[in-house]
Amino acid sequence: MRAPTSYQAAFAQFAQGLPAAERALREQAFASFAAAGFPDDSAERWHYTDLNKLAPQNVQLPATLGAPALDELLLPGCESRVWLNGRAQQAAAGGEMPSGAGDALVQLNRAFALPGLQLQLAAGEQRAQPLHALLLTQAQAPGEMHHLAHRIALARGSRATVLLHSAGLPGAASFSSHQLDLDLAEQAQLTLICLQQEGEQAAQLLQTRARIGRDAQLRLINLDFGGQLIRKDWQLQLAEAGAQLEVHGLFAAQQRVHLDNQYEVEHAAPHTSSRQLLRGLGSGRSKSILNDRVLVRPGAFKTDSEQRLANLILERGAEINAKPELEIYADDVKCAHGNSCGQLDERAVFYLRSRGVPEAQARALLTYSFADAVLAQLPIAALRLRLAQTLTRQLGAELDFEDLT
Amino acid sequence: MTTLLDIQDLHARVQDKDILKGLNLTVNAGTVHAIMGPNGAGKSTLSKVLAGAADYEVTGGRVLLAGKDLLALNPEARAAAGVFMGFQYPVEIPGVSNMMFLKAAVNAQRKQRGEPELEAADFLAWVRHRVKQMKMDPAMLSRGVNEGFSGGEKKRNEILQMLVLEPKLMVLDETDSGLDIDALRIVAEGINAMRSPERATVLVTHYQRLLDYVQPDHVHVLAGGRIIKSGGPELARELEEKGYGWLQAA
Ligand SMILES: Nc1ncnc2c1ncn2[C@@H]1O[C@H](COP(=O)(O)OP(=O)(O)O)[C@@H](O)[C@H]1O
Ligand SMILES: [Mg+2]
Repeated sequence: MRAPTSYQAAFAQFAQGLPAAERALREQAFASFAAAGFPDDSAERWHYTDLNKLAPQNVQLPATLGAPALDELLLPGCESRVWLNGRAQQAAAGGEMPSGAGDALVQLNRAFALPGLQLQLAAGEQRAQPLHALLLTQAQAPGEMHHLAHRIALARGSRATVLLHSAGLPGAASFSSHQLDLDLAEQAQLTLICLQQEGEQAAQLLQTRARIGRDAQLRLINLDFGGQLIRKDWQLQLAEAGAQLEVHGLFAAQQRVHLDNQYEVEHAAPHTSSRQLLRGLGSGRSKSILNDRVLVRPGAFKTDSEQRLANLILERGAEINAKPELEIYADDVKCAHGNSCGQLDERAVFYLRSRGVPEAQARALLTYSFADAVLAQLPIAALRLRLAQTLTRQLGAELDFEDLT
Repeated sequence: MTTLLDIQDLHARVQDKDILKGLNLTVNAGTVHAIMGPNGAGKSTLSKVLAGAADYEVTGGRVLLAGKDLLALNPEARAAAGVFMGFQYPVEIPGVSNMMFLKAAVNAQRKQRGEPELEAADFLAWVRHRVKQMKMDPAMLSRGVNEGFSGGEKKRNEILQMLVLEPKLMVLDETDSGLDIDALRIVAEGINAMRSPERATVLVTHYQRLLDYVQPDHVHVLAGGRIIKSGGPELARELEEKGYGWLQAA
């Protein structure tokens, strides 16, 4: 399958102003993408998400966006950086253009991507304040697209908390792609919150590759609340002994959202551990996919992994396909997994009602508390509160959060 | 004396099985009634029907609460009207703290009755006082509802909820089972603290034990879906001695 012609036109326009050296690299990347086209559903990983059918076919470069009001999106106590339709609103630390192998989506991103969040910490550097990278989209015309490349590299013993936050304002249909590279050297610690609140007509592709070094720790909190077509790939590698990974995931898929999260956790060294708690809520006619693969490489003895998937179907038209997968090629490992998909416990609903809580509120409270197992992990209190309110608004109920925070 | 609860010829079924088969019971304000009876007699079914559980279908009869049709109300409206059922098997709700649960319940009831919400600080003091009364650890308030509680702790939590909600009609389904003697005394004190001329209590129990601490005014035997015998406190002692066989045979 080849890339749609509108991508060719957009690229020709984009490439015009580029310096020659960069242009050659971009052209190579685009040629690879154009030759391969979007992956189709013949590949297992793309079984549920055929981008040839789902991704926008008519795209164009984005208009420059005037400064929208950001107060409601920014967070107190965080250092913020803002991108509007893929353009940095502050002096950008220009990352190096990556080149080389990668699938068609990597190549598409490389052809067009501007620098996104580029964070590099020196050895031992501790960032006290969370860094809030706000990626805001508001398409003026249908099919406006932008692409960003993000990189977070933590040298030995450094620490940071980062909120990578994509949000959409009401507007036309948009398309964005993001490459995210994470590199944690020995004993580095990163808490990464990846919050997706795209608009109702937004398509977003995110591909993340993480390398977790010796005794380093990655805590990932992946939250999906919006969008129309969302596909996220997570390749998380425990590369050296003592590496640790914790993933908390939550999605609330509504209306006609198509939401696909593909996790691949690779234990490539001995004495590594991964814990995953992934939860989801499906309502409306949404379709959610959650694939969670843990791979234990030969030699990765004393691997300790746990996968806990639990999802709730809130409305009958919603669909959730969740699957934990485990492939073990090493001895002496401990791997646990669980996967449940169901409705609310009707006995609990009745218990609440028998105490005077109206049915709708009882359901909202139970649903909320199910989701809160993930939200409670957020290290930024103001964000937790805001998302608690977002979620209850989605659930159509009023709850009191005084006792939560 | 005013009649608080009036059950007339009540028939109910669960999963196409008739359980209650013409049950009559009148409970006046200010009184305590004990309902005893063999396993499977329908005691929990009666409790659940009064609370409004959906899986129990009423197929005949009437239930009036202070003269109003109770069966026409949904469970939350019954609670707001003053009905409280103590569950034989209280439900665990991980993730919803006891405090959140109590606050949601009290404010929801007040809202349904058109009363203003309580001030948070006042409410906290109100709850803490009752936690102490039940000799529970205040830290339980931030734990999930009944999450990881022992059988006895769950029953105490039922009484705590009752003390906080201050209902008019209390239907306590085997609140005494699974309690050691100290816990039984604390639970009994909680029940006695709620006795008042405007309120009434229906105690469903297997044993005389609880009735040593909470003196009933009336004792009934429920068997085969009906009240087959009623009497005073002495009936409970007689049942303790002789069991139910002599009544059912008669
Ligand atoms: N939810 C239910 N589903 C099926 N059968 C039930 C259910 N609840 C009660 N029953 C049946 O109804 C009868 C009465 O039960 P119950 O009211 O619990 O008795 P008691 O509380 O007096 O021991 C029993 O035969 C029991 O098996
Ligand atoms: Mg029973």
